[in-house]
Amino acid sequence: MSPADKKDKPADYQRVVLKNASPYHYMKVCLVLEDESTRLSAVDLKQFIISGLKSLYGEVGAALTFDLLKYDEDTLTAFLRVNSRGLVKLWSSLTLLGSYQNQACAFRVLQVSPFLLALTGNSRELQLD
Amino acid sequence: MVRVKSRYLLCELNVSDRSSLLLLDDRAVSAAVKAAVARTHGDYGAALCSIRFNVKYLNAHTGIVFLRFPKSCYRLLWSALPFITSIETRGQKIPCFFNCLHVGGTIRTCQKFLIRYNKQQLHRMLPTCKTKEEENQVCEAILNCSLTGGRREAFEDEFESEEDEEE
Amino acid sequence: MSVDLDQTPRSLLVCDRSSFLNEKNRISSQVEQLHFNYKVSLLLPECSSAPSHLDAVFNSFNSFYLIRNMPIYELLDKHFLKTAVYQGSVYGVSYRTRIDEDNCVALMPNGHLSLSLDKDSFELLGVEGKPSRFNHRTTCRYVVCVDLTDSSMAPGGRGYQRLLTGLRSRLQLKTDFLLSHHPGGGASLQDLLSRYDWSEHRPDVSSHTLTDLSCPALQSCDLQSCDPHSLLEWIGAVDAHISCENSSSSFLSSLVCPEPKTTVSRALSVSVCGLLLPQDVHRLIQQIRYYLEQPRLESWVSLTVHGFVDSPVSWRGNEHGVLRGGENFYSLLIFHDQTYQLHLATGAHDTCPP
Repeated sequence: MSPADKKDKPADYQRVVLKNASPYHYMKVCLVLEDESTRLSAVDLKQFIISGLKSLYGEVGAALTFDLLKYDEDTLTAFLRVNSRGLVKLWSSLTLLGSYQNQACAFRVLQVSPFLLALTGNSRELQLD
Repeated sequence: MVRVKSRYLLCELNVSDRSSLLLLDDRAVSAAVKAAVARTHGDYGAALCSIRFNVKYLNAHTGIVFLRFPKSCYRLLWSALPFITSIETRGQKIPCFFNCLHVGGTIRTCQKFLIRYNKQQLHRMLPTCKTKEEENQVCEAILNCSLTGGRREAFEDEFESEEDEEE
Repeated sequence: MSVDLDQTPRSLLVCDRSSFLNEKNRISSQVEQLHFNYKVSLLLPECSSAPSHLDAVFNSFNSFYLIRNMPIYELLDKHFLKTAVYQGSVYGVSYRTRIDEDNCVALMPNGHLSLSLDKDSFELLGVEGKPSRFNHRTTCRYVVCVDLTDSSMAPGGRGYQRLLTGLRSRLQLKTDFLLSHHPGGGASLQDLLSRYDWSEHRPDVSSHTLTDLSCPALQSCDLQSCDPHSLLEWIGAVDAHISCENSSSSFLSSLVCPEPKTTVSRALSVSVCGLLLPQDVHRLIQQIRYYLEQPRLESWVSLTVHGFVDSPVSWRGNEHGVLRGGENFYSLLIFHDQTYQLHLATGAHDTCPP
């Protein structure tokens, strides 16, 4: 975190460069279940992720705060927000979550970014056909 | 030369009943630590705990324990120690807690600290002796200890057990 | 063994504050240097339907062309160079290729051709290049950049022949390709298009109205306004239709609108997707300035432009990669007194935006 000011004129032109200053990271994840008819509510999903954190990082990990910003029940796609310091923990526990209610499952991490804006403009979603 | 660096935690096991300390062994302590780490830090902690974690020394009379942790993650493992409330050994559950006295890079520095610590404790407790006779007993016991080189640990054991008597 | 779990990869955010009236403002060059724009989204507070002049801009965005399975050596075609590259500017980027796994190609308006290749392809091609900044330990990706307007790359020249034979007989790189031309449009590309399976696409405009939106109280940029990260977070939340109405104790989410906040009764959010030209974005900015000159309830407009995630270049032809997010976007907040706040963001190993 080193803001480097380059001021040409005090009020007229100001340029600030922020490095690694982002307090949060945002993840777009998608849950893939073996049985596609399984329904999962937003609360279920969050509880499921917390259980994953608990098994990998124990009670300390389960206390990690993250937010479920948006969740689409049809596609099982969710936007998560987590403190930058907790990103690695959350991501690794998502990776190691392998079963939901005795059926195989996997989390696909579609995009991770320090800016929520970046998740709304992913050119990989461009469909032209 | 590069050596693999460790941290040694010098801990004191506090129990309500001193006699139950005698039931303890290395394996029970190590299992208790591992269980506490697994509970507070999950699989990740348990995995860290499986490499180069060791109970180096346990004094069943005084409850002094040396734990060896890898240097890279000792803080994380250390943070699990306060969550130990009991140790299970030989079918018995001994309620206890860990009190960490010192963190050292080698066993030697920990041992030096322990000697200094015990000396302090003795100076602190000696004035509490009720009668002259008690004081003499303690002095005699200390003088009886052999101080021949290489037997330092034994010396400390005596030291500690003297304190126990005073209490 | 154990590593620090708290660390995250690098991210970069440049915040500019200035005024359109200040001669030192570089907004037009900053807009033009991001060549491949994927999405433009606009947030107009206290507005239920876009005024006609803004609507006109949205609907007059240049259309772009998709060519399926085009061999890359076609970009070196003599006729194509003469009619398209030397005259005006061509914007071309490979489509449905992922820069972290596939070979990606971009043709920039200044006539530079940039290829991001994996090691095997690079060695097959046999043209000078340099290792990518996005390598980790071992070099497995290379970047080749050639200037097609350079004299050595003139058709028939040695460099030209080398690249052409490399692409035609050795590497045989084929990919879906998005193309757009300024100012000629489709006419300048017709010759190339006619030889392959192609389709024309209009940028996709969508808009919707938001009601009772809580938004940070944004004043002109001389005043101390909210911190850039929370501002971008809020704009992102609006763009992604994420609710900011949470309490700090709620289980699911504790995202809130930055303080101090106000409520706008309605707001309009418009977004345009496709291969968008910087010239069109620039035209849009001019129209927004014109729009803001009339007195309004809320005196600001926010504009966000996202670059292509898989484009091998971001600003100014600097190398770009994905790693986790591949973000290269800028967000412009324009106030009625002609001042603006510009946030340029990029991630991972990209160089600092201009």
